[in-house]
Amino acid sequence: MNQQQRLELVTKGTVEIIQPAELQRVLEEKKKPRAYWGFECSGKQPAPHGCLE
Amino acid sequence: MMHIGTGLVCGTKIRDMVQAGFHFIIFLADWHSMINNKFGGDLEKIETAGEYFKHCFTALGLTEDKVEYIWASDLAEKANYWERVIRVAKTTTAQRVMRALPILGRDLKTQDVEAATLFYPCMQAADIFEMSLDLACAGIDQRKAHVLAREAGEKLRWGKPVALHTPMLMGLAGIQGSEKGSYDEDPKLSSVIAAKMSKSKPENTILLHDSPELIEEKLSKAYCPPKIVEGNPVIEYYRLLAFPTNKTIALNRDQKYGGDLEFSTYKELEEAYKTGKIHPQDLKSNMARILAGLLNGVREYFDKHPEPLEQMQRLEAK
Repeated sequence: MNQQQRLELVTKGTVEIIQPAELQRVLEEKKKPRAYWGFECSGKQPAPHGCLE
Repeated sequence: MMHIGTGLVCGTKIRDMVQAGFHFIIFLADWHSMINNKFGGDLEKIETAGEYFKHCFTALGLTEDKVEYIWASDLAEKANYWERVIRVAKTTTAQRVMRALPILGRDLKTQDVEAATLFYPCMQAADIFEMSLDLACAGIDQRKAHVLAREAGEKLRWGKPVALHTPMLMGLAGIQGSEKGSYDEDPKLSSVIAAKMSKSKPENTILLHDSPELIEEKLSKAYCPPKIVEGNPVIEYYRLLAFPTNKTIALNRDQKYGGDLEFSTYKELEEAYKTGKIHPQDLKSNMARILAGLLNGVREYFDKHPEPLEQMQRLEAK
């Protein structure tokens, strides 16, 4: 996969990247950059929606 | 129970990231859930829910050889972590942290909260540095936490993490059926966050474990105005759930209504719907079929591993 394909795959379906130029630099500089997604561990309770996700 | 917004939107994006060569961490935020009073703040119950979440993502193909699972409690047991939280807190003000509270699902107008709540945004920023991340993913409702992390990282010379934000999946009642509230200074973003699949309304949400019959029933009652795309959750599910995981989308339709259709891009489908070539009923019934297909693997997985789901069901029944 070339850099362009990696970039397209990462940005696909997103609404915002802060900042695209920084993302490009991460992809250029690192073969295996580190990323995460955090999730609150909750169920369907009368709680506000969302939180980490 | 996990809803399809988490399972399918996040699951698909994480698979993209892994494929693009990222070392990806699924972070089970047990401590954050405690602060946010999930399960009454009972850490033991929260951990049961976290284990269930891990099984859900595993069922979606995010197995431990592809992603790393880290618990917030793994970080919290180290003293250095709390130093980081305080260093982040020292870069900002109580007022700014209060303004970030919509990341916990709190209304922007919230006046008073438990003092522990103020740790949450600072911990969320500290987590990013503690795990040496280059990039943080989340729904767009989390942007304030990421902006805080970027500002703190710059001031502390810890680097600025890239932030990647995905759309919120609307509940089945659409924007008009969502709760009122103020979650961002930008009114448009605020209404998008409010329309996020609220877990507190089961009829408004499709869960990962809903049977094909139940999915069909829920979709049949979904808000889906003819020819209108804006605020229409059903057509949005085509854009956010169906097309990202399929090259083409087939719509099965009775011969007397014109027979089957096939679309290779979302735009083509949208155009056909806007011009009235697709009836809302066909849009709904085909989405029910597509979702049931996407969730097939999850159903099979939990048929083989019923225990985590049963534990979760017991927790929620209480």
